[in-house]
Order: sequence, then structure tokens, then C-alpha cells
Amino acid sequence: MSVAAHREAATGGLWSRMSLGQKQLIWAWGFLAVPLLFYVVIRFWPTFQAFYLSVTDWTITKPAAFVGLQNYKRLLADPLFWQVFRNTFLYLILGTPISLLISFVVAYYLDRVRFMHSFIRALYFLPFLTTAAAMAWVWRWFYQPVPIGVINDMLSGFGIPQQPFLRSTSQALPAVLAPAIWAGLGFQIIIFLAGLRAIPITYYEAARIDGLSEGAILRKITLPLLKPTLVFLVVFSSIGFLRIFDQVYNINTNDPGGPLNATKPLVLMIYQTAFSSYEMGYAAAQTVVLFLILLMISLVQLRLMSDR
Amino acid sequence: MATIEIDRLVKAYGRTTVVHGIDLAIQDGEFVVLVGPSGCGKSTTLRMIAGLEEITGGQIRIDGRVVNDLQPKERNIAMVFQNYAIYPHVTVADNIAFGLYRSKLSKSQKRARVAQVAETLGLTHLLERRPSALSGGQRQRVAIGRAMVRDPSAFLFDEPLSNLDAQLRTQMRIEIKRLHHRLGTTSVFVTHDQVEAMTMADRIVVMREGRILQVGSPLELYESPVDVFTARFIGSPTMNLLPGAVRNNRIELSAGGSLPATATMATTPEVLVGVRPQDLMPTGSDAAGLTLSGAVVVVETLGSETLVHIENDGQTIIGSAPGRLIPKVGEHLTLHAPVDRLYYFDKATEKALAAR
Repeated sequence: MSVAAHREAATGGLWSRMSLGQKQLIWAWGFLAVPLLFYVVIRFWPTFQAFYLSVTDWTITKPAAFVGLQNYKRLLADPLFWQVFRNTFLYLILGTPISLLISFVVAYYLDRVRFMHSFIRALYFLPFLTTAAAMAWVWRWFYQPVPIGVINDMLSGFGIPQQPFLRSTSQALPAVLAPAIWAGLGFQIIIFLAGLRAIPITYYEAARIDGLSEGAILRKITLPLLKPTLVFLVVFSSIGFLRIFDQVYNINTNDPGGPLNATKPLVLMIYQTAFSSYEMGYAAAQTVVLFLILLMISLVQLRLMSDR
Repeated sequence: MATIEIDRLVKAYGRTTVVHGIDLAIQDGEFVVLVGPSGCGKSTTLRMIAGLEEITGGQIRIDGRVVNDLQPKERNIAMVFQNYAIYPHVTVADNIAFGLYRSKLSKSQKRARVAQVAETLGLTHLLERRPSALSGGQRQRVAIGRAMVRDPSAFLFDEPLSNLDAQLRTQMRIEIKRLHHRLGTTSVFVTHDQVEAMTMADRIVVMREGRILQVGSPLELYESPVDVFTARFIGSPTMNLLPGAVRNNRIELSAGGSLPATATMATTPEVLVGVRPQDLMPTGSDAAGLTLSGAVVVVETLGSETLVHIENDGQTIIGSAPGRLIPKVGEHLTLHAPVDRLYYFDKATEKALAAR
């Protein structure tokens, strides 16, 4: 017995002498190493690289030289930046509440529909699967003057004058926002539906017995219990609207972000600075600003909505 | 305080009928337990009384008033659910106050009422807590508090103890029973647990496949079940059933031996003889009674008594022995039951035959 144990220890080497806990630790870190390495190389390293680039004047043609905070100073003095900043916030403060309101109302009523429930849900989800480029083309046609544009067609049917939509500096931003909201609805509806389904039916039954009206049930039971879902969607869709790009880029291909930068969001500005002007250092500084805005807004929202 | 009358109550979902025209009259202040296996229609019946399910046919009257088309809130009933249905986002006090949602009391009167109910249920020190900080038993008490606070005309309980562990269940059973004694409010209690039914009910309603099989006090059901189902459902462990044939005024048991037949068995060639494990013991012997013997296969020691499973005629029979007397597995054992403790059923219809 002791001879056998001795022999095993001798032949098994290091591995067999380790305790069960140590072996588990090695396995765990072995598996963790793969995603860890991936994240470091693909995510973290480029992020730090961006921070570094933002304090250089790299332009592809000449090597990067340290310039301190000059890129940031230039950005703050750039009127285009403030225009873009304003646009980005308009996308956020219009897009998030409008899209959440619509998707909640749809989900709230769809939850009660039994007839072809899955089919209707799939229909709402469809835009989410469509590419932004195709969607932008279709919406661009919608916004055309008569006889091509459906919307102007309808307006003229009611005797309302033609609207310029994408060609107007005041109407272009809402016109670009509409398809963006429409495209995200499916996802938000699915999440709201899942949240609604997770509320036990007996909560509603108990409320009916206690005599709460439909409105009171919505206010006092459904919405408070839906809060985790709501927090997730607010943060998620806010980030989405702050990073809006493809909807804007595709709907106005001749002059992305136009007319007169009226629809240009921050991400599009970064894109143009980096890949039209090749001012990589300046673009990196803009990216850092976007990152800080996203971080701040997400933190504020989480703080506001997590505790009451 | 109210009576509840149910007349030819029917519930159907499409073409499937789940409650087949049942009749039941519940008196004021009575504690009635609806019991049966899952899918027997007991919960559906309760939910129809509550107004959570529409009534397909028949009538329900609470205190003489037809409530078929009344909203739950218009029936002045209170209900306690299996999962408690207390809201995780508000405090215990607010949960209880939900029961007063429609009441016209002033804010301070409501608060006083909530405090009073909390006092009764021993929840006073928990009023400001959230439900997540409560134990299962405490949550159940909050649910009962919400039901009580309104002073409803009837309490409806839908398997309220199923989510609790065995010890807590016994404790809550007693608490609910004591509460009923104190308040005297008409109560309808649904459960699939026959022990709950036996210990809590003034009257038990045994249901199966959407029909009422028997209504009676716990002892009536135990002593004179109307059919094999009720006989086996009430009492633990389950009643033993022995097949036998009636010949020449005797019941010839297929397990061996014979018993005197009664006049009512003249037209029933095949019968089932029932005997409860508690009546089947290794001690005493009644010449006219039932005697069964076989090898012991399982012994369950409960302390106060020992349940003995013996193999007899290819069937496992459960008997009981006093706590101290523990037979060994494999041992040959003979069990006896006095003739006046036997139950008789028609094998074909499974209905009870004339009292012993």
C-alpha cells in the first residue's frame, strides 16, 4: 500500500502532488486565459493606444509626435465640434424617450394579444435584422417629393404642402432619427415583452381582487417591477443613440451628415477626421471625448435609476 | 361574513370541460377545504368564486347575491395565493395596505388598521422591511395580512402552504386555523394535501376530474368514504384494498381466507375489501376478522408506531406495529384486523357497499 503510493508520487510528478484546489485553480485560469488574451489584444490595447494617439499629431504620412493637449484645445475651439455635439445630444434626448415609449406601448398591448402573437412579434423584430444601408435607401425614397415619396404623397392627399425633410437643416435630423428609432424598436419590444412575462400573473390577480384599476396596476405594479428592464434599455439605447452612425451615413450618401452638418453625429465626425482628412491624432482625441461622454451618461443613468 | 352557494357550476375551456356542474353550499363562518389531485378542478372552482375565471354555466351566490358577472373587487372577498403575490418593490406595510386600496378610510385610519393587523399576525417589527428580507413563513403572513385588513366576507386560500417546508407548513396550518377561530370568517381552502384538509377543515370537499365525490367532516370521510378514490385519498398511509369474490354469503379473498358478506353484496360478484394500515396489526386476533400473512419487505420506523410492508398474494400490504415492536425484513408476519374496521367496495363501480 505505502509502496504503491510512493511509486505513484514518484512517477506522477508535480501534477499529482498538487491538491484538488490547486488543480481546479490551474484549470480555471487555463480556460480564462483565452478570452483574457483576446480582450487584452483586441480591446484593451487599442483603447490605450487611442488615448496615446490623442496626444500626438499622427497623420499617417508623418510619424506621431507628442503634442500634449493641443488636439483637445483645437477640438473645443472647433465650431463644427459644438454643432456635432448638439446633434448627438438631440439624437439622444429625442431618440431614447420616444423609442422607449413606443416600444413599451407596443409590448404592453402585444403581451395581451394571443392571436398570431409570435408572428406579430417577428414582424416587429424584422427591421432589427435589416441592414442600415437598405433601410436608409427605402426611407430616403419615403422622404422624396411627390410622386416618389410616400410621405409627401400622403401629406398632399390631406392638402398639406410638400416638406423638404432631408434637404432642410431643421427637418433633416428628425427625419434621420425616425428610421433609427424604427430599426431599434424590435429589439426593445422583445426585451420589454420578456420583462413583462417575468412578472408573475398572481401579482395582477391579487391586484384585481384588491380592486386596483388598469391604470393603477400599470403605475403601482407593472412599471416598478419592470424597472430592471427599463434601466437596461435606457442605458443600452442611450449608448446606441450617442454612437449613431450608419443610419446617418447611409441616408445622405452624397453629403454624409448634411445638409450643412445638420445631422452629423460625433461618430461621423470622428470617421471623417480619421479617414477623409487622415488626422489620426485629432480623431483619437474626439474618440476619447465620446468615450468620456458615454461613460458619464451611463454612470449617471445607472445611479439615478438603480436606487430610488 | 357570508354564505357561498354554488349551483351546477360549470367551467369549460373551449371543448374541454374541467368543472362538470358542481353543487356546494358553504355556511357562514365555515372552513371548507377543497381537496383532490392536480387537475381535479379545485383551484378553478376557487378562482371562479374569486372572479378570476369566468363562469361557463351555473351560478355562484355570495350572501345570496348572484356574483357571476361581478368583478373580483365587487365581491368583497380576499385571496391568498400559493406564491404569496406580495410585491417585492414595496414595504410590508404598503403590501398590507394594498388590501385597503378601495376603502374610503382616511390615511391615518388605514395606517391604524394596518398596524392592528400586523399586531395580530406578529408582523409589527417587520412593517418597514421589504419582502426580500422576510422568510417564507413571514411572507405568507404578510399575504394573509393583506387579505385580513379589509375585513372581507370570505377568505379564499389557493394552496397557500405548498411553498413552505414541512415544519413551517405545520406551524402555519395551526396559525390559519387559530385565526379562523378568532375571526370566524367564511373560508375556502384549496389543497392537494389530505393532511392539511383533515386537520383544518370543518368540512372537506373531495374532488376528482371536475366532480365532487364526497362532502363531509374529516371524520365522516375517514370513517365512511363513498368510493375507493376517497378511501385511498384520505388517511395516510393509503388504505389497503384486497380483491375478493362473493360466494354463499361469504367473501372469498384472493389472498386467502374468507369474511362474512352482507346482504347488500348479493348482487355484486366482485368486491374490494379495504383495511387501513392503522387497523391491521400483528397483535390480537379476531376469529371473524381479517387475517393476512406474508414476508416482511420494508419496515418504516416512525417512533410512535412502525409501518410494516408485507408481501401477500403478489400485493404489498401495509400494516402497523406498536413503536417498540420492530419486525425484521424477511421475517414471516401475520396481521389481523377486526371485522368492524373493514370497508367494502363494489369492484366494478368502485362505490362503497353498505356500512359494515
